Amino acid sequence: MVKDKPAVMDATSHKIWDLVTIGAGPAALSAALYTTREDITTLLFEKGVIGGLAAITDWIDNYPGFPKGVAGLELSDNLRLQAERFGAVIELGEVMSITDKGTHKLLATTSGDIKARAVLIATGSDYKKLGIPGEAEYFARGVHYCATCDGAFYRGKKLVVVGGGNSAVQEAIFLTRYATHIDLLVRGDSMRASEVLQHELNDYKDKISVHFNTTTDEIVAKDNVVTHVVSTNSKTGKQKNIITDGVFIFIGLRPNTGFLKDTKIALDEIGLIKSDSKLETNMPGVFVAGDVRSGATMQIASATGEGDTAALMIREFLHDLK
Amino acid sequence: MAKDITIYTTNTCAYCVMVKKWLGAKGHSYSEVNLDDHPERQKEAFEMSGQLAVPVTVITKDDDSKEIVVGYNLAKLAPAVA
Ligand SMILES: Cc1cc2nc3c(=O)[nH]c(=O)nc-3n(C[C@H](O)[C@H](O)[C@H](O)COP(=O)(O)OP(=O)(O)OC[C@H]3O[C@@H](n4cnc5c(N)ncnc54)[C@H](O)[C@@H]3O)c2cc1C
Repeated sequence: MVKDKPAVMDATSHKIWDLVTIGAGPAALSAALYTTREDITTLLFEKGVIGGLAAITDWIDNYPGFPKGVAGLELSDNLRLQAERFGAVIELGEVMSITDKGTHKLLATTSGDIKARAVLIATGSDYKKLGIPGEAEYFARGVHYCATCDGAFYRGKKLVVVGGGNSAVQEAIFLTRYATHIDLLVRGDSMRASEVLQHELNDYKDKISVHFNTTTDEIVAKDNVVTHVVSTNSKTGKQKNIITDGVFIFIGLRPNTGFLKDTKIALDEIGLIKSDSKLETNMPGVFVAGDVRSGATMQIASATGEGDTAALMIREFLHDLK
Repeated sequence: MAKDITIYTTNTCAYCVMVKKWLGAKGHSYSEVNLDDHPERQKEAFEMSGQLAVPVTVITKDDDSKEIVVGYNLAKLAPAVA
């Protein structure tokens, strides 16, 4: 039998929460659905968008149960509603650090200090920057990292998209609904995107031109308006100016683990969090799920699955505490 | 106190949802200009914010001065609507 609970609580509702999740993306929202159904008091901290990267993805075709696909925003909202239905509390704020206090963990947050018996780190990752001249200067004025947010400003305009992986191809295709033409600049000599996406990209040949072996060196503007990108063909060494009204950058992701720098929680060489077969980190009672976990497959379905697994492991951990 | 709050949004913008959710949770009412429904008002959003990005939140204070917050930025939004 399911039970509906009114969710009129906030971060101060419990002196010690059974579980605090850091992040409210697909992994944490799924974990919260499982824990709250078992009366494990659960608080989720979200510094950005509820639903994480899934919420800013236009369309998702590979999440099971949606034969026609589903909008990222809709899936995220459904995950949120389902977790809140059983009593999950979402606090809009950031967790800055975790300290192990033995009987509990102390989290320093933008909403003050919060105590938790168990913690789930599900912080995912953020877009990487190119680090080239013009990138920071023209951020949000011609340089962007979120197509679903800012694409609409490029109706009838020309765009450059940088990157050769799934995100770059997916977002370039999305941007064709606004832009008249897109130059896709790929550093390597082939695409890293999945076969399915590469196949789809073929259908946009008239709108998207792919440039392989092309580095993006500088974003240039005149009177504060982006005019072109300076690129180099790494095979010939030849420089070329690519005329554009804006640049969208999708060159990969950086794990959101900076807030762990003062802890002993073990990370792998790229900064993802290591865990054992129970998804527990080397700090007892601190679990990890989703994109930020070393070994994760970086998909929404796997993030929600890991969230559920972590929830069941957390239940065991809390049970053993009693 | 804010006299009027207007948010420029688009259909696919998740950060716009967050600004609306946050303002709602804090008990503020607002009006919304959806730039997908009103592309002709895109220029107005750009002229106000100087940025090609949404959400753009325009807060009109009691003395009719305006404060503009681009993005989902609670560090700026919270004092602006206070
Ligand atoms: C452009 C793009 C398209 C994609 N398309 C697909 C697709 O079609 N199908 C698919 O299966 N997957 C897709 N993915 C991958 C998918 O979005 C991720 O695998 C999934 O969102 C991971 O979920 P998560 O919960 O682990 O992390 P995230 O979704 O990254 O959520 C983590 C959340 O934690 C928050 N956070 C981080 N640090 C803190 C902190 N210190 N305090 C508080 N909150 C914090 C972040 O703001 C974020 O909201 C796509 C990704 C991108 C970038």
